[in-house]
Amino acid sequence: MKTKVTSLVNLNTNPCKMCMPMGAATALCGIRDCITILHGSQGCATYIRRHMATHYNEPVDIASSSLTEQGTVYGGEKNLKQGLKNVIALYHPKVIGIMTTCLAETIGEDIEGIKERFYEENPQYQDITILPVSSPGYGGTQYEGYMAVLNAVADKLEMNTQKNEKVNVILPPQSPADIRYLKNIFRIFEIDTILLPDIADNLDGGHTEEYSRLPKGGTDITELRKMAGARFTIEISDKSSAVSPAQTLFEKYQVPYKRMLSPAGLKATDDFYELLSQLSGKDIPEEIKTARSRYLDGMIDSHKYNSAGRAVIYGEPEFITAAVRLCAENGIMPVVVSTGSVCPDLKQYVEAPIADMGKRYFVDDYIISDDTDFKEIEEYAVKYKSNIMIGNSDGRRIEEQLHIPLVRRAFPIHDRIGGQRLRMLGYEGSLSFLDEMTNALLSVTENTFKENLYDAYYRGTPIDCGEKEKDEIPADMLKKTIEHPCYNCAGHKFARIHLPVAPACNVQCNYCVRKFDCPNESRPGVTSTILTPAEALERYKTVKEKLPNLTVAGIAGPGDSLAGNYPEVKKTLQLIREYDPDVTFCLSTNGLMLPFYAEELVKLGVSHVTVTMSAVDPSISGKIYKYIDYMGSRYEGEAAGAIMVSNQLSGLRILLAHGIICKVNIVTLKGINEEHIPQVVQACRDMGCYITNIMQLIPVKGSAFEELPMVSNKEIQSLRNSCNKIMRQMFHCKQCRADAVGTLDNDLSIDLGGFLDKDNIEEKKEEEKKKLKFAIASKSGVLVDMHFGHVEEFYIYQYENGTPRFIGKRNVEK
Amino acid sequence: MADIEQVNILDEREKSIVTKHGERCSGDGMRCNTDSVSGAVSQRACVYCGARVVLNPITDAYHIIHGPIGCSSYTWDIRGSLTSGEDIYRNSFCTDLRERDIIFGGAEKLTKAIEELAEAQKPKLIFVYSTCIVGVIGDDVDSVCRHMSEKYKIPVIPVKSPGFSGNKSTGYRMACDAIMQLLLPHKSGKKIQGINILGDYNLAGEMWIIKNYLKKIGVPVIASFTGDANYDEMARSTSAALNVVQCAGSSTYLADRMEEEFGIPYIKVSFFGVEDTTNSLLRIAEALGNEEAREKALKFCGSETKKLEGFLAKYRKNLEGKKAAIYVGGGFKAISLIRQFDLMGIKTVLVGTQTGKKEDYELIENLVDEDTVILDDANPAELETFMKEKGADILTGGVKERPLAYKLGIAFCDHNHERKHALAGFEGVYNFTKEINESINNPVWEYVKGACV
Repeated sequence: MKTKVTSLVNLNTNPCKMCMPMGAATALCGIRDCITILHGSQGCATYIRRHMATHYNEPVDIASSSLTEQGTVYGGEKNLKQGLKNVIALYHPKVIGIMTTCLAETIGEDIEGIKERFYEENPQYQDITILPVSSPGYGGTQYEGYMAVLNAVADKLEMNTQKNEKVNVILPPQSPADIRYLKNIFRIFEIDTILLPDIADNLDGGHTEEYSRLPKGGTDITELRKMAGARFTIEISDKSSAVSPAQTLFEKYQVPYKRMLSPAGLKATDDFYELLSQLSGKDIPEEIKTARSRYLDGMIDSHKYNSAGRAVIYGEPEFITAAVRLCAENGIMPVVVSTGSVCPDLKQYVEAPIADMGKRYFVDDYIISDDTDFKEIEEYAVKYKSNIMIGNSDGRRIEEQLHIPLVRRAFPIHDRIGGQRLRMLGYEGSLSFLDEMTNALLSVTENTFKENLYDAYYRGTPIDCGEKEKDEIPADMLKKTIEHPCYNCAGHKFARIHLPVAPACNVQCNYCVRKFDCPNESRPGVTSTILTPAEALERYKTVKEKLPNLTVAGIAGPGDSLAGNYPEVKKTLQLIREYDPDVTFCLSTNGLMLPFYAEELVKLGVSHVTVTMSAVDPSISGKIYKYIDYMGSRYEGEAAGAIMVSNQLSGLRILLAHGIICKVNIVTLKGINEEHIPQVVQACRDMGCYITNIMQLIPVKGSAFEELPMVSNKEIQSLRNSCNKIMRQMFHCKQCRADAVGTLDNDLSIDLGGFLDKDNIEEKKEEEKKKLKFAIASKSGVLVDMHFGHVEEFYIYQYENGTPRFIGKRNVEK
Repeated sequence: MADIEQVNILDEREKSIVTKHGERCSGDGMRCNTDSVSGAVSQRACVYCGARVVLNPITDAYHIIHGPIGCSSYTWDIRGSLTSGEDIYRNSFCTDLRERDIIFGGAEKLTKAIEELAEAQKPKLIFVYSTCIVGVIGDDVDSVCRHMSEKYKIPVIPVKSPGFSGNKSTGYRMACDAIMQLLLPHKSGKKIQGINILGDYNLAGEMWIIKNYLKKIGVPVIASFTGDANYDEMARSTSAALNVVQCAGSSTYLADRMEEEFGIPYIKVSFFGVEDTTNSLLRIAEALGNEEAREKALKFCGSETKKLEGFLAKYRKNLEGKKAAIYVGGGFKAISLIRQFDLMGIKTVLVGTQTGKKEDYELIENLVDEDTVILDDANPAELETFMKEKGADILTGGVKERPLAYKLGIAFCDHNHERKHALAGFEGVYNFTKEINESINNPVWEYVKGACV
């Protein structure tokens, strides 16, 4: 049994972000011969290495100053200096990045000072560039840590200010494959670049004969020093980032710059090439134009499939912005756009394309949120009916829970291989990303459309007679279920008998007046008589003889089967079982006493149980019952609701654990539970119930709810249809009487009821010959168009000598 | 820079690397169970990680990380502990401390978080993990937990796991203390037939495999720590007749404390490998004085062993003469692995652990050859150096070691917490042998020219 966890205000549940050192470490991997040391406790480095190892499938060595209690109390300078010496000995680096952690920042480590003193004490290491970066885990997300490193390079590195013809390119944390693509484009335009950083090879290396402890890719530190003299800087970044290395280079060294979005999608890529064309003075080459035309062709090919997409897009704002634009230009509607980082301006960056999409397709329900965790994203995914997710593999849990396909991009991807090679930039990258999204949507359609259409147009309709059960229900149970008219449409070929042996009830529903039996199961007017167990057996025997297709004997009150008359119920079941070993027993209850009797019911051979549970929220449930009598006390309001819900659920769980087929009846009460019903259905589904039956309230005069407006047939039908997406719905409920006999199409209770009255059988037969009276439930007076529980007046017809004749209307005292 | 020599082994690390014909593991021979060397690139995690490893598999507990988001993010649902019931433990709850909280303290945030959780979710059990910064900013987590525990009448248990307060082993101990805090109120005088299993985390269903064996031989299991564990079951554990300890490194301390407090004796067992599995089942039956169970175990293990005979003989032909390197978390696992490799005809040329103890290394020493390299708290440079030097064909280790092995052209077996195939019991022998063969004899190595193998 699984507890549903809901999102909380004061507690992050399933983080949609990582911390600064993660991003800082990634950025430092783009500098040649650079080793990173994390100033803090050992775990930070290890966790980051573990994450990077699974995503990039590369050895990523990150040292740690391994601070202990001692270092934390007295300062970690000694540790850090020793650590620097050791990484130099082991890795022979040209650059060492020192990143701080929560711990180092909180104890107030002065890494700049430590660096200076280290050089003083160890002049032999003067040639090694040490780059200190403040990256406390609590200070921001991985993107902020990544940008902090880039900015530290721009800001703190000793620069060579001599002018050169190079162009600085500040790169986002895209996949190494995308970075390789960008490098190639700069080559095509013959633009001489300095990439900050260049993770293309270090985080996606090849297999070489000789292993190098520090990978040999990345931008050399001497190149980075030339950034101050470059002619221009292109910064591909999230515009909301407070930190901009390009701006820093401009302010310190007057290098002009342009900040732009990642070239993902048609428009952003066009802009990117336009800029490169200007910078290089070259026309856009033919091969790029061809790539563009191919992307456009691909966009056209898939546009109709894409239009079905309602996407959840999550991650860092930089990634989100790129993905939203790409989706929006392809007709995929982003309905949930969430970032884990604090980014109050997110709306400003992503809303325009979303709103534009919405206008085209008349979609105005979407959400854009920052500082969001995955639990909230999961709830949004349901609320906004999304059918595709786009982001890193931390969304896999939602994928598993909600069966919404996840197209994996960004970092980390640790449940699939090849995260380092996923593309989304440029025309080719956009196309491969788009194809993956389209295919994810298509695979859902291809795998479900047959069933969906069957459910929409066949299941539960008048032509549906041969519905096959697909669930993993044991064969014997399946047979019983198929032959059970209350569980299966096809069941109408089989007859059932409801035996009124249990008049007592232990709850007072607000829609019920005791003298008219229980409307839960059967707003049935009046049952003729209450039977003793012996009489019930007799009745069963007689009917069985008349109706050989009688397969089901049920107890449906007229009170509650498990209230005061449980001993009679038990006896009845035992007697009938003795007489007919093949009989299917079903039973209905309000669930209050179910946990106490569930196991016994299993032993008695009850295979089907219906519980009327119109709410799973105690406060709502509390509104349904005027009071309940439980264990010698009377409870009202929420206390009553809490007991009801908890007993209904635990009773159901016991039954389900024994493989009993459970149906849940849900009475729709306008203004009370109609909004809540999908939750009830969801709860039933989560537990493993077989079917739910969403019913109309039948208002009863004199009950507390007599003034409650009735829910229309249409509303009920639409509720059932929407809940049908959650689990199997009963579309054919006839709200039987407690003493119903026969098939659903053909209620013979009056007929047989008379027939069953042992003393008068012959006499009644005589009478039958003479005349019969029918009460017709009709509103229009033309058609049988009302449930007999709802009518205010009956049309009475007399049948005599083969001719029916209307003899008058009769008012019903409700 | 020419005067700076790149080294493979740091001076400070030399005492943690031994061979039998060099310095032995006994006496001063093996420096282990100490703090990691700064800048050495240890493969170890931290105290918090150790605590989380042990406690997180408790399925119906709410695990709240009091700290910054990274600690929560990097440990969220990454381990392969399976559940047969609740799956609350697969969520990662975090107070997400930010700059402001570092300055003003996070106790209030934690209180609010627990209050909200208690009211919304009606939890049975909450653990609150302290991380590095909490240890420094001085939040009184104990008193918040005590207060919340009284207010909501549920156990809210602090786990003292600031990362810097020791190593992963310290974390194991802190977790065991937390478990004890949970168990103490349930101290019971009477004993019932049945055992507890300690130190198995139900990775890939291994706890289920073990429980099924015990069921077959008629030994009831009362509670498991902590694979597929739940609160009610654990609360009953105090009246068990025997504790069996599978992962000694993480759980011996818990077994000691349970013996002290509840008078439950314990034995160490291992369900890795045919021999260990057989011996463990027999020993459990013997420790309980249950002759019938012993007979059943003999019969059961005999028939299972027989089933595997042909299989093992077939694979041995394919594997004989290969060389293995082992780098795992604890000593007990390393020992099991050496013996399993032995049965396949594979010689262990390098063996190391993150948190092995002196006695583990002494045992290891007895199992390996004269020139096998034994190391404690190794780093990638050392693994690289010795795997090359010894010509290892396969490395058995954790996720972080995998890319290194591959880059060196060496096969790899995942013996970590993230794996999705069982390695325990007779099923495990089958999986393990197949995995070793599938990696070592994969055609890819044919194409790796000049590989270090």
